[in-house]
Formats: sequence, C-alpha cells, structure tokens
Amino acid sequence: MTEPAYVELAAASNFSFLHGASHGSDMLLRALELGHLGLGIADRNTVAGVVRVWKALKDTREDCLAETGQPLPFKLVTGARLVFADGTPDIIAYPETRHGWGRLCRLLSTGNLRADKGDCVLRLEDLLTFHQDLLLIVLPASTRREDEGEERKAEKQTILPPDGKEAVPSPLFVIPAKAGIHREAGAGGLVDSRLRGNDGGSDNVVPFPTRPNPDTLTRTLAALRAVAPDRVWLGAAMRRSGADARKLAKLATFARTARVPLLAINDALYAAPEDRPLQDVLTAIRLGITVQEGGKRFEANAERHLKAPAEMARLFRDYPEAIAETLRFHERIAFDLEDLKYEYPHEPVPEGWEPMAWLKHLVAEGAAEKWPEGMPAKVEKMLDEEFKLLSKRPDLPYYFLTVHDLVRFARSKGILCQGRGSAANSMVCYLLGVTPVDPARYDLLFSRFMSEDRDEPPDIDVDFEHERREEVMQYVYDRYGRHRAGIVATVIHYRSRSAVREVGKALSLTEDVTTRLVSTVWGSYSSQMEEERFKETGFDLDNPEIERLNHFVARLLEAPFPRHLSQHVGGYVLTEYRLDETVPIHHAAMEKRTFIEWDKDDIDALKLMKVDVLALGMLTCIRKAFDLIRDFEGVEYTIRDLPAAQADVYDMLCEGDSIGVFQVESRAQMNMLPRLRPRELYDLVIQVAIVRPGPIQGNMVHPYLRRRQGKEEVVFPSPAPPHNPHELRDILGKTLGVPLFQEQAMKLAIKAANFSPADANKFRRAMATFRNVGTMPQFEEKMVGGMMERGYSEEFARRCFDQIKGFGSYGFPESHALSFAILVYASAFLKKRHPAAFCAALLNSQPMGFYAPAQIVGCARDHGVEVRAIDAAHSDWDNKLEPGDGAPAVRLGFRQIDGFKQAWADAIMGARGALGAGDPAQRIEALARAAKLPARALRLLADADAFRAFGYDRRQALWEVRRTPTDALPLFAAADARELGQEDDPQLPAMPLSEHVAADYQTTRLSLKAHPMSFLRPVFAREGVLSSAQVGLAKDGTRARVAGVVLVRQRPGEGKAIFITLEDETGITNVLLWARDFEKYRRPVMASRLMEVHGIIQHSEEGVVHLMGAHVVDRTRELDRLSEDHQTRPQLSRADEFEHPQMPRNHVPRGRHPRNVRILPASRDFH
Amino acid sequence: MLAENIWRLGNPKTSSICEEGLPVVFVEKLNNAMRLTALSRAAIALGLTPDLTLADARARVPELVALDRDHGDEARLLARIVAGCVRYTPMAAAEPPDGAILDITGCAHGFGGEEGLKADLARRLEASGITAFCALGDTPEQARALTRFGHKSKNLLDLPVEAIEADPAVTLALRRAGLKRIGDLASRPRKMLAARFGDLAIRLGRVLGEQDRHISPERPLSPVFALRRFAEPIARIEDALACLEDLGRDAAQTLLERHQGGRRFIARFFRSDGAIVGVEIGTGRPTRDPALLIRLFRERVDALSDPIDPGFGFDMIRLDVGQCEALTARQDDHLAPSRHEEDLAELVDRLSVRLGARRVHRAQPENSHIPECAASPCAPSRLPVWESAPEGEPPMRPLRLFDPPQPVGAVMSEVPDGPPMRFTWRGKTYGVTRWEGPERIAAEWWRRRDRGGRPRDYYRVEDEAGHRFWLFRHGLHEAGGTPPDWYVHGLFA
Repeated sequence: MTEPAYVELAAASNFSFLHGASHGSDMLLRALELGHLGLGIADRNTVAGVVRVWKALKDTREDCLAETGQPLPFKLVTGARLVFADGTPDIIAYPETRHGWGRLCRLLSTGNLRADKGDCVLRLEDLLTFHQDLLLIVLPASTRREDEGEERKAEKQTILPPDGKEAVPSPLFVIPAKAGIHREAGAGGLVDSRLRGNDGGSDNVVPFPTRPNPDTLTRTLAALRAVAPDRVWLGAAMRRSGADARKLAKLATFARTARVPLLAINDALYAAPEDRPLQDVLTAIRLGITVQEGGKRFEANAERHLKAPAEMARLFRDYPEAIAETLRFHERIAFDLEDLKYEYPHEPVPEGWEPMAWLKHLVAEGAAEKWPEGMPAKVEKMLDEEFKLLSKRPDLPYYFLTVHDLVRFARSKGILCQGRGSAANSMVCYLLGVTPVDPARYDLLFSRFMSEDRDEPPDIDVDFEHERREEVMQYVYDRYGRHRAGIVATVIHYRSRSAVREVGKALSLTEDVTTRLVSTVWGSYSSQMEEERFKETGFDLDNPEIERLNHFVARLLEAPFPRHLSQHVGGYVLTEYRLDETVPIHHAAMEKRTFIEWDKDDIDALKLMKVDVLALGMLTCIRKAFDLIRDFEGVEYTIRDLPAAQADVYDMLCEGDSIGVFQVESRAQMNMLPRLRPRELYDLVIQVAIVRPGPIQGNMVHPYLRRRQGKEEVVFPSPAPPHNPHELRDILGKTLGVPLFQEQAMKLAIKAANFSPADANKFRRAMATFRNVGTMPQFEEKMVGGMMERGYSEEFARRCFDQIKGFGSYGFPESHALSFAILVYASAFLKKRHPAAFCAALLNSQPMGFYAPAQIVGCARDHGVEVRAIDAAHSDWDNKLEPGDGAPAVRLGFRQIDGFKQAWADAIMGARGALGAGDPAQRIEALARAAKLPARALRLLADADAFRAFGYDRRQALWEVRRTPTDALPLFAAADARELGQEDDPQLPAMPLSEHVAADYQTTRLSLKAHPMSFLRPVFAREGVLSSAQVGLAKDGTRARVAGVVLVRQRPGEGKAIFITLEDETGITNVLLWARDFEKYRRPVMASRLMEVHGIIQHSEEGVVHLMGAHVVDRTRELDRLSEDHQTRPQLSRADEFEHPQMPRNHVPRGRHPRNVRILPASRDFH
Repeated sequence: MLAENIWRLGNPKTSSICEEGLPVVFVEKLNNAMRLTALSRAAIALGLTPDLTLADARARVPELVALDRDHGDEARLLARIVAGCVRYTPMAAAEPPDGAILDITGCAHGFGGEEGLKADLARRLEASGITAFCALGDTPEQARALTRFGHKSKNLLDLPVEAIEADPAVTLALRRAGLKRIGDLASRPRKMLAARFGDLAIRLGRVLGEQDRHISPERPLSPVFALRRFAEPIARIEDALACLEDLGRDAAQTLLERHQGGRRFIARFFRSDGAIVGVEIGTGRPTRDPALLIRLFRERVDALSDPIDPGFGFDMIRLDVGQCEALTARQDDHLAPSRHEEDLAELVDRLSVRLGARRVHRAQPENSHIPECAASPCAPSRLPVWESAPEGEPPMRPLRLFDPPQPVGAVMSEVPDGPPMRFTWRGKTYGVTRWEGPERIAAEWWRRRDRGGRPRDYYRVEDEAGHRFWLFRHGLHEAGGTPPDWYVHGLFA
C-alpha cells in the first residue's frame, strides 16, 4: 500500500501570538519529518511569521541540495487565518497567485488600519471585496476572542487609496462616522444584515461565539460561493471531542448542500504533542489567568499537533476525499514569496532621466560646487571606480538617489543630518552631501566597505536631529503615500525578564518571587535563566514550581518566542507599486505612524530596500549651538567646514575633559582618552570603536594601546609558511595589526580560517541573527579550527572569535565609527571654542547624553562660562546667551523648571514689555495678569527663585504668589487697579543659603548658588573626610575617605567591578569597587545619594586617580541638614531617627513626606 | 503599621522570625510598579522607606520578605480594635487606615483618670501584640497630631507643621516659608493663612483645640428578638407554636422597619423548671414572612428525633433573629405569575429544615475537563448556570458518575483507539452494538511533576439490550508499553 499523502493547511506558528506554541520553522521541520508534501502556514490575521518559515525552507533546500544532490520535494504555502469581528466563522485564505497575495495584504491592511496597534477588525464584506485569487477554507466556527477586533475611532483610522491612480480616497473606503452601511452595491447584497455587525462603527462587538452556528455558516458559504464558486472549501478537523464522527458527517452534508468540497485539517497549534503544556501556558498568559484556573478554557487534549499522513487518513477514513482535497488545494497554489519582486519608487528620478545618469548628474553638480576649477585626479579616479561598482547593481543608483532625496528635503528645512554606514563612505555620498566624510582625505575605499557578497543590501543610515526627525518621517509618508511607504517592524521577542514574569504569573508564582528571580538577571539580554541564578535567589530547581518555571522559560528563550510586533526605530520600505499589496500595514503605537508586518531580516530575505531615518540628539545640539553662535557671535558654521585638526580641541580631549562631547563622555571613554591621546580624526574613529564589548571581550584594547604608545612592535599575525604571511596586512593595516572593527573581525575570520563562500555566507547570516537564533556555536570550532590549521595561534583565534561574539550584540563597524567621529570632533570643537553656546545648546536638547543639567552647567562654569539663574524678568523658554564680561554668558531658561509649560514661558516673554514699576508684589501681580499665568505657573516660578529681579527671594515670592489673584475680577481689571490690599509684614525668617540650594535642586535639579556638599564640609572635615580636590593631590597608595553626591554607578561588561562617581564642591572622585565588596555593601551602594567611601588612592600611568573602595557608608541623611534649621535639629545619631514615627509613613498621601522629597535627582545607574 | 501587626498576629510561626529582625515589607501595585507601602521595624532599620519600588528595595536588601498588603484585613483588625474600645467609651470610631479615635469625655473615672485610661488601653493593646501610639487631646485632631508627631515634645506648639495633615503641597509651601512648627503658624494672623492656604486655618484651629468636630462612633444595631412571658405556664406544644407565630409577626414588624429579613431564627422555650429547649431554622434567602416561619418551625419540630417535652409547661418563649440581611419591602400582586424560584427556595428550605442544611445540595459546574472534577456540590441557595446542550444533541455525559470508576475486564477493542466491542463488568459480558467516541481528555499536566499523565478516551456505548454505558480507556496503546486499562464511569438513563 502506498503511503498516503496529506498537507496540513491550517498550521499556526507562534506569530499567532499566544495561540501558536511552535516556531514556524519547527512546524516545517516536523512536517518534513512526517513526510508531508507541503505545509500551509496561516496565522491569525497576520502574515508576519511567514517569511521566517519561507527562509527556513530555502535554507533547508540549499542544505539538502548540497548534501544529497536532490531537490527537496516540498512546497510551502503561505496565507492567513482570517478571524472576523462580525461573527463570521474563521476563514483560512491562501493566495493562488501574486495577485491573490496582494489582495490578502490589502484585506489585512484594511482590517489593521481600522484598529489599534496589533489588532485587526475584519468583516465578511472586506473579504468579498478582496476575494480575488484567494483560495478559502471556511471553518465551522469563529475563534474570535472577546477583546479582539475592536475598532479605533473612525477619524483616527488611516485610509489607503483604492486601486487606480487617483490619490483621493473614494467614498467606498471612507468609513462613515455613524452608519453601518459599508458598501452600497455589489457583493453587499449577498451579506445578511446580521453578519454586518451592529449599527454604529465603534461598538459592533459580537459576543464570544461558543459553538458553531449553522445559519451563519450557511450564509457565509453561500456568500462566498456566489463570488468565488470554485475557490471555497469547508474545513473539518477531528479533535477527539467525542462526537467527531457525527460532526464530520454533518459537515459533509453541509458541504454537499452548499456545493463546496470538504477539506481535512488538523488546525495545528504546535508541532508535537509534547508542546501542549507550553500552549496551555501561553493561553494562560493570553487570558491573564493562572494555569490552575485554566480548566475548560484550555484544549481538552493534546491533539492539535501535526499528524502523520497515515494518521490523518485513518481519522478521515469515512471521507477520504477530504484528505485528497488537501493535495488538490495545495497543488493549485502557484504563489511563492519568491514572486514578490521589488521595484524602486520612481520619485527620486525626474522624468526623462535614467537613474544612473541622474546620479552622475547630481554628483557632477556637487563636484562642480566643491571644486569649481575641476576635481582632482584622485577624486575622478575614485568616482570612476565607484560608478563602475554601482553600475553592476542596478538597484544601487536608485538607493543612493532615494537617500539623497531625504537629505535634500532635510537641508531645505534646515534640519541637520548625516549619513553613515558602508555605502555612506563613498565619494558619491560625499558629493551628494549625504556625509561630511571626505573619503579622499581619509583614504577610504568604497570597495572596502561594499561586501563582495552581491546580495547584501546596501547600507546607509541617515541620522537627523532628534527633535525634528518627525518632519522627515511625515515627508516620506507624504511623498510616497501610506500605501507605498511603511516603517519596518521589529519583532519583540521574549527576554528573560518578560518570560520569567509572564510565565511566573501563569504558574501562580507571586509577583514577589518573579521579581526576585528577575532582579538577579542583570542584563535583559541573557538568553537563559541559568541554574546558578536560581540558587543565588535562594530558590532550588528541586522545587517543582521553580523547575516548571525554568522549563517553560527555557522553552520560550532557547530560540526566543516572538511576543508582539513593534515599529523599527526608523527603517522605511518604499515601493513603486502598492506596498500594501506586498505586506500588510498596521498602525503603530505612535501617533501618525504606520508600519509593515515584516522585520529587517524578512526584508533582507525578500530583498526589499530599506532606508533608515534615525534620530540623533547630538545633531539637534550641534544645530542649536550653530544657531546660537550665528545669532550671538555672528560666526556661521557647518559641520562640513569646521576648522579641522585644531590642536587645542584635541588637547582638551587628551585630558579626558569630555562632558557633553558626543560618544566619548562616558566614564570608560573618559578614562580611555588620556591613554589613547587622539590627535587626528582617525584616532577618534578608533576611540569611538574601542570602548565596546567586541574589542573588550576579544582582549584587543591593551595590545592596541601598547602598540600605539610604541611599547610593543607592530606585527601582523600570520599563517604558517605555505600561505601568504602578509595576508592580513590589508585588513589590519590601519589599526596596527589589532582587529578593532566589526568588518575587520569578519573579514579576518573568513580570510584566516579560509571559509568557502557558502560558509562565509552562512557565517554572515548567523552573525546577523545572532541574538535570535543560537547558531553561532557551530561556527566557533569551524573558525578557530580553520585558523589553527593554517598556522595561527589558538589564543589569537579564540580572541578573534570572542570579539565577534562581542560584536554580535553590539556591533560597531568602522563605517559607522567614521561618521560618528565627525560629530565627536564637531562637539568637542564647540565645547572648546564656544563653551557657553555649547552648554546652552546641550541643555536645550535634553534629554540626551550621559549627564544631568547640573553637571553640564558645572562643567561650563569650570571652563569660565558665566551662568545666570532663571529669572522671570530675563529668561526665555530656552536657555540663551546674554552679553557677559568679555565672553557670552548663559541665561538659564524656564525649560529647566520641572513641570513648567512652554505656553507659560511664551506668555511671559510676550508680556514683558507691559511690566510697570512698583513694589515686588505689584510687579508680580502685573506679570501674572499680563501673561494670564495660572497659580501653578506662578508658584513654580517662585519656587525656582525666579523673582529675584523683582526684589523677592524664593521665600518672599512664594509667600506672595500664594495669594496673587490669577483671574482678575473684571471690575479691577477695568480699573487696572490692584486687587490685593496691603498686608502686614509676615515676619518670615530668612531662608538660609543651604535651604535655597536644596530647593534649587528640587525645582531645577541644579543650583548656581553653591554645591550641597559645601555646607556639609565642616561636618566631613571634622571626621577627616577628604574633598575630591584633596584626593586628586594625595599620593598613590594612601588610605583616604571621601564623600560626595553619587553621580553615576555603573557595572560594565561582566560586572567584576562597580564604578561610582562622586561629586563634591571641588570636583569629582572616581571610585572603583570590586564585585565581592559590592555584595557586602550592596545596601549603601544602592541606596546612597550621598556616599562616603573609604579606600586606597591609586594613580594610573596616565595620571587618572581612582579610589579603590574598601568600605561604603550611606550618608544620605546628612542632606537633611540642608533644608532644616541647624539649631532645631540637634545632632541625633541616625539610629535614633528610625524611632521617630514621623518617619515617612503610609498615612501621608502619596506615601512621601514633603520634607523628604529627595533633594538630589536619582543618579544614572544600573538598577 | 497595622499590616505588620496582622502579619505577626495572624502567623505565630513566622512572628518569631520577625522578632529576630527579618525585614518584612508589604507591597502594593501602585502606578504599575510594586511599591512598599508598609514596613516592619527591621525593614525600617535597614533604611527602607515607603514608596520605594520592590525591585529597588530588593536591590538593596536581597533577603527581603515581601508580602502582599491586604487593606481588607487591616480594616477588619481596626474594626476589632475599635469594637474592643467600647469598654472605655461608646464614642469610639475608626480613622482608617490605621487609627482610632475615642471620645472619653466623662468616661475616665472608672480607670483612674484620663492618664489611667490611656495606660490601660496601651497595656491591653500591647498585650494583644499590637503596636500602638496613644495620646490625649482636646479635639480629635489634636489627639491625632500628638499621637503621630508628639514623640519628641508634648508641647503642641513644637509639633512640626506636618501634624496639621494638610495637603502635601501646602505643607511644603509652609516649610518653604520657614514656618516649620505649629507655633510658627499659631503666632501669625489667621487671615494671612486663610488668604493663602484655604482650609489650613480651620485645620489649625482644630489641632489647637479651638474648634471641635464630633466623631461618629461605631454602634452595632441591636439584635432583633421578640418574647412573651406567661403568667400561667402553657403545656401544649400546639399553643407554644401558636405563640411563636405571634412572636414571628412581632419580629417581622421590626425587620420590616429595618428593611431587613432574617436568615436564621432561633426559638427558645423556657420551661418552668428552668430547662431551655432551643430550635433553630435557617432559610436560603432573607425572609420575614411569619407564615413561612411557622411552617418551617413546625417542620423542624416534627422532624425532631427527640420530641419537645413541655414538662410542667413553658413560662416564656423567645424568638431571636440570628442573622439579618437587607430585604426591601415589596408589594405582592396576586396577578403576578408565580415565582418559580421562590417556590423552589421554599422547597429547599423545607427540605433543609427536615433533613439538615448540609444534606441538601445543588450541583454547580466546575472549570475542568476531567469528568469527576467537572461538577461540585454547592449550597442550594446558589444559582449555578449550566451550559445547555445544543438542541437535538444527546447528552455527552451521564448525570451520575461512579466514584471511583469501576474497572471492566476482558475488553476487546481495536488498536490504537477503537471502541470497546465487548467487555465484562460485574461478571457479566456485554457486546457493544453502537458506540460513539472517543472523547479524549488529557491529564492536567500542571498537577504532575513530569508534566505528563495518561489521557482517557471516553466512549458512549450501547449493548444489544439497549443498556448504555460510559466507558473509558485509561492510557493509550503504545509500543512496548503496558496495555491500557478500561473503566466504566457512569450509566446513561
């Protein structure tokens, strides 16, 4: 007897979020194993997961061909399970042709764009609109969930243009605000009114269907058969629910009456029966219940797995034609994802031009502007070579032109932007103005960055000012239309945190237990909850509950399960023809954004082009600084023509004086600067790239530094004799023989380990998906072994591999470092030459960078900039420049006040002319009236001590504004008279300076009056605690105690040491604490805002001083002294304090005592 | 603070750990984060504070014991404390979440003066394991301020401005103004404060004892009862019951006034020789229908295994309503359709009275696929909703199940999952003529360590004689495994 044949056409992958319990690729492998002839993947209202399965099949095919020389006789068909919001039973739809795929995508887009992110509202009439070329399997019942398919407000729905050229949406697609009539003619007549949902767009929620409704089914089948007579099937599954045979017979009768064929499915949710518990856990997560509460809401048995053809034939022995039908169905489908042909949009190329010719024309224009007397021969040669390369790939000119189009738009709006990436470091990009890096000057070869692999997509990321990127994004939508442009998706996968929390909840572990487990996982990138981690938290894997948690968490993480879709940071896919006929479009969580269902890897696999529109805070800062300098000092700068290679700028960097400077302001970078001593732009490129996990994990940092300082000879690792000993010279030449960049490490691996092109290709693939799929380990032996075979030392080989592993999660290639280095230089230049403008611009671009406003202002003042306090009479919303003593001074703006609104600031700025004279109270009242300020604005201003120019300090002003009327009575207003009578002097005590400082921190997070530590100095001095300045002068090896405000706590890399930065009135102290000491002092380290550290002073060779911490004390309580009168608070031992019941207690609303509102903002740190 | 007390009182085993200083915190979900809202002394001593997120607290003190805060429990404990305070004064009221206020005006003489009363209260609270702070004041607010903020100084004017318990923004503003003690406020014109801080002046007046507000004490409603004494003892049970009916009317009147109905009624017959006979009835829903009551009492008295012996007669009969529930007045309408539910409830009441309340059940559906777990008995007063079978479909499961399922032998069935064609049960062999199935029900993996368990395949079968059985195969046929067992789990009518 021949083996029966069967194709499962109702397989869900885990992109049916929290329904499907297997990866699509596992489904595929299982189907291959069981000897199916094909597989149909149909997820709930989505095709987000199909590309991965398709790619997995493609890879398996290649492997199979390579191993056996036989092609794999297997056909994957991709579709979607349509779950309707109007009570229509589920329908599985497979496109028969490319046109059908387009219809399916349009259908899903229509549903998606009616709903909020992640949801889809489908109605039967949508399918009747878009049914063409779709093969439809109608299932007996709907599986719609109660909260599924809820419409968003009609006016917020995005409407895509219909077919045809006109861009105006036709009435067909306009969703009427109220009525329930969606189609006037055509198929509408076929749909029973009961199927349409209730009247009123927003609340047509149909109750959760519990069992098949024969009437609905009849109507659905009839409606579909009328439009698609030969493309409708009735799907039947044998679920082992007792009455299977009877139900099947009924369905068969049904199918006969409706004149549609019966088709066997098993409606698989997972690959193998063992996956049932996981599916139950996912169901519990979905329903927000625990597994114990699951009961009947779970499947009764483990039958929803892929079954062998023989088993399916046995189950359907009474209706063998239902099995045969699956094959007929499967054979009919001619569509494969391979058929999605990508076409570049025509917009960037003007009519009548060929793209290459237009590109050449634009480049020539750029060159003519740059070199009016004709370009140098070197440049000409470079351009020739680049054009030669570009002409080999017809897509590349389009790509460059598309990027150029965006950049041109940004320029026209005065938005700073800059390209980076492999293709960006070309002469073409330079002359198009995409990047300011002149490849001729830095000796960059385009071909060096372009991969030999012709399939790899070109890579140009363009950074825009972060505050104005939205303008560029909306430009993209406007220019190409929402039906032709979409942001790429990012698939959010389960991480250990989310997995532990959600699975723990489903297994009814308390939130406390899961928090405890999660809190020991430092990074959220750890791929597994190791056994030790459980031990650390005091839980044992012998405990069945914990073992169960571990089992399911491991299942979710081994190849991370997708959790939901999110939008990519800024990657756009632009198409010539309708994008919504290639992939469904969704609403993003962010207003006005739409994105597609596929992520970056899917796009790459299908060879769609992606343009990255990214946001960069430093560009905003630089633009604002340029504007300030132009307006105030009359000097006009652009990034492109800043004076290059200024010695004083590099001198500043060499001293590690880099607060606010792009990319090199972190503690680790600051420590590296004096050691690396950058003197030219390429040094900055290395500086940016070296303090990264890759080079650190590969142990490449110290060898490079030693060679750079001339302490070690520059040698190139070389293979054993038969091979060319200089084979690595090309790759490692610029970095003194030490691989530092991602491209270097990759090329080195491929060259030194002599990978075949196919291997190299796979290796690249593994790298790209490093975090998602654990395929890297198999390359470790291949690479290390390969390198050793050719005579490299094992140690070097392992280091190279470790480095690649390090890059895996935080890749940083040279092509990106180059563009960043330009910004490092630009920001350093501004900091050195225009410190006031830089400070103001940096503050105006917050939040960005590493440092809080207090440090930015402190740093500017250290560099001699006068900084003036916020004042109602002088400040603007933004921080600005004012004429100062010789150099410009910075006037802090209202934006520094927590909670202040820009509208109030604008009103104040507008009302300033109207302010009269008079006593302070009168002037405040006049301001309040002229600017129509609400009480809250006045109180915030007073609390920020901004009425000094009027003659009131904080205390007086606060007392006064508490009674300042804010909505003038008409009579008083008409008479322009004061509403308030004179009041007796309240005899308030004077506010001590320390209290002012504390209040400054509370309102603006910084104080220009004094550093909090300066008030505590006498206390600490008496105890023998040194100031930071004294620590800097102390000898190497001396014991010292130092105290300061905690700025930063960091636990870099593998977490062997904790870095803490303390600040006092004289400067900062860097404290280093070993991890074991940290465990001992965990509480003070985690809790302190004011910390005292005892330790030993260490000087490094470059003159950096550290305190090796040995003992940590939490002195946060001392800060209370600032805001309390010293006399009334005699020195109590702190232990005493806990006895006081006025300790913050829960009866105070919001749980916090107003006096104990923290004086200092939380530091940036790791917990 | 109450939270800690509850934990210590409610869990004596762990309370010893607490004494040794284990940091215990109580957490609540606020603004999407688990935050500490109450702390044990040990936790406070470690520097933890309310409002800290649990994750932050854990980062500092990994060995922290975190418990979910239960406000309901706290309120109940507070209510018990307040109820206990009635020994001092009828004017005792709870001040949620964690305070109580006692008006002891004129109540202190029995305890040796006000200080004596306070000391007695403190002693009693401490003896019951409750941490409490007590203070005396002229007004509730003053007492409250002194209790919460008066640990350093008993002088009202020295208390911090927080003691006024104004809005935190107002308190902050006062501190910013340099007015940090109540004395600083008291010495300034009230008009000045009122112009700026609204009700602060009133609050200040209350704390200073210038203005009083009355507390609303907790007063439990008095119990409902009715009684009748007889000059001459009555000896006939029938007479006694007739009297009881009168009492029932009296009680019903009281209940009607309160908009309540009784769920539990106790009749006590006081015999002239001093013996008391008590008879109790309960109803499924609140009632105040005297006719119904007497009917139920008669049922109960008739059903007594040990009939009531009137002896020399009863000289008093008393009817107590043991449990009251809200019941609004209703006008009966003789045209209204009969209330089926009420009829059923009445039947249930009569059965319960006759057979005992614990012997009348209703079946309610449970959330499980496993047949023996799919239903459970519940009180007859509840109205569980069963899913009705689709029209025209036979019942898939029998009404009653064998507990435990009974093994059947000599089963002939097709491998792997065919129906039983012949089986032997209780020594008799049945040949199956018609069957349906299987209904496969997998084990509840979460109850098992190995996440496994054998599934059951249920069949509905009929033999030649028309008997219908519900059989199941326990386990599946697996290569090399033990053959599965068969059981009969129920019979279809």
